[in-house]
Amino acid sequence: MKEVFEIIYRYKAEFLIGIGVTLRMTLCIWIVGIALGAVTGVFSAKFPKVIGLPVRVITFLLGGVPVLVFLYWLHYPFQTLLGIQIEGFYTTIAALAIINAMLVAEQIRNNIEQFPKNYILSAEVCGFSPAEIVLKIQAPHVIRQVLPSVIVIQVVMMHSTLFGSLISVDEIFRIASRVNSEVYKPVAVFSSLAVFFLILSLPLTALSYFLKKKYRYLI
Amino acid sequence: MIIGEHINQQFGGVPVLNDISLKIPKGEITVLIGPSGSGKTTLLKSLSLVENPAGGRVTIGGESYSFPRTEPVRTQFNFDGSQQLGVVFQNLDLIPHWTNRENMLMPLKGPGPDSVKLEQLIDILKLERFLDKYPHRCSRGEQQRIAIARAFMLNPQYLFLDEVTSALDPELIAAVFKYLMELRTAGIGIFIITHFLLFAQNVADTIIFMQNGSIIEQGKSAIMNNPQSPQLKAFLESLDGILINNRS
Repeated sequence: MKEVFEIIYRYKAEFLIGIGVTLRMTLCIWIVGIALGAVTGVFSAKFPKVIGLPVRVITFLLGGVPVLVFLYWLHYPFQTLLGIQIEGFYTTIAALAIINAMLVAEQIRNNIEQFPKNYILSAEVCGFSPAEIVLKIQAPHVIRQVLPSVIVIQVVMMHSTLFGSLISVDEIFRIASRVNSEVYKPVAVFSSLAVFFLILSLPLTALSYFLKKKYRYLI
Repeated sequence: MIIGEHINQQFGGVPVLNDISLKIPKGEITVLIGPSGSGKTTLLKSLSLVENPAGGRVTIGGESYSFPRTEPVRTQFNFDGSQQLGVVFQNLDLIPHWTNRENMLMPLKGPGPDSVKLEQLIDILKLERFLDKYPHRCSRGEQQRIAIARAFMLNPQYLFLDEVTSALDPELIAAVFKYLMELRTAGIGIFIITHFLLFAQNVADTIIFMQNGSIIEQGKSAIMNNPQSPQLKAFLESLDGILINNRS
């Protein structure tokens, strides 16, 4: 244990940079992915043929491509094709934000489509306008239903930022690997890394379970 | 008055309502009876324009709507201190993420709820104990009382009620029916589907008997004791006198 703290203390500057990069990437992927996913999900449900179908096809295709392959494809051949060069940090954000958005959109679309029509009818009979039904009834209901799975998706996205290390992003895994190559203490270094991710992930996963239990009556 | 003329309805090409014409006057209780699957709920939904009929015409408060038409009609449910038409469905459909109190009060717009009426309904329907609970934490009977109260709070000129007392205790059924009679006296037109035939026999101004999507017989409560059609006679005989004939 003492050894772990010694390593962390000795390489604290490097670790802080790695943590900073990982957290910045994670935040960007979460914000862009959830915002884009929410808009795409709502429009997919509202315009199932024009928007919903293409989005489902893209999601289906993306689901068949490993995350790492998609990231590599976006970073190398795609940029070569366009004749541009973008830092790995941004490529990782773009790749994971797209995947995040598609997954979130799918959840939202599904829940909007499966929203019980009898609640809409009940609200209409009570004199609610279409806008009021969306804002006061449908949106809160759908948000409560998708929240647990969206949180789990965000945890997976945070973990997936590790792939950034493979296109030279100095995130926490790459820093840890570099430190390990200097000190050669893989158990200590990578156990610390695991603890770091556990500390970040567990509260979110617990929140997801809590919300799922709390809102199970909506199913 | 609400007038339905030559109403037809079909689902998947199968006729469910066949050329039905009827009137729901203000200040009267019209009871719809009939065996399960006879089209009672479909008629209630067609007449209240919750669902568009496949054909015919419905007039609500002087405004006529001819069918078929694709756009739903919803102006009858607009709330402006009162509602032209209130409906309580058989499956209740309380909004699950609102408390019972919110379910009752959220539809009300304007200066706030009529607190006298609210207290009166809380008292009549005995809502106090579960008013701030969520619907899923309540029994079917409690949810039914909230759904009834929600419709009553909107001050409708006409009330359409589909089997709203099926899960209530006898004393609450009596309280609901007593309140309906008060509403009738106040000029509200009430259209109710019920299997509680004693209510039909003792209180209804008009009883309509339906079978296989058609009105077979209608009239005053006397039709329960002296049915003219063999279908109503058979229906009443099938009950073996258990649910009716105690008129005092």
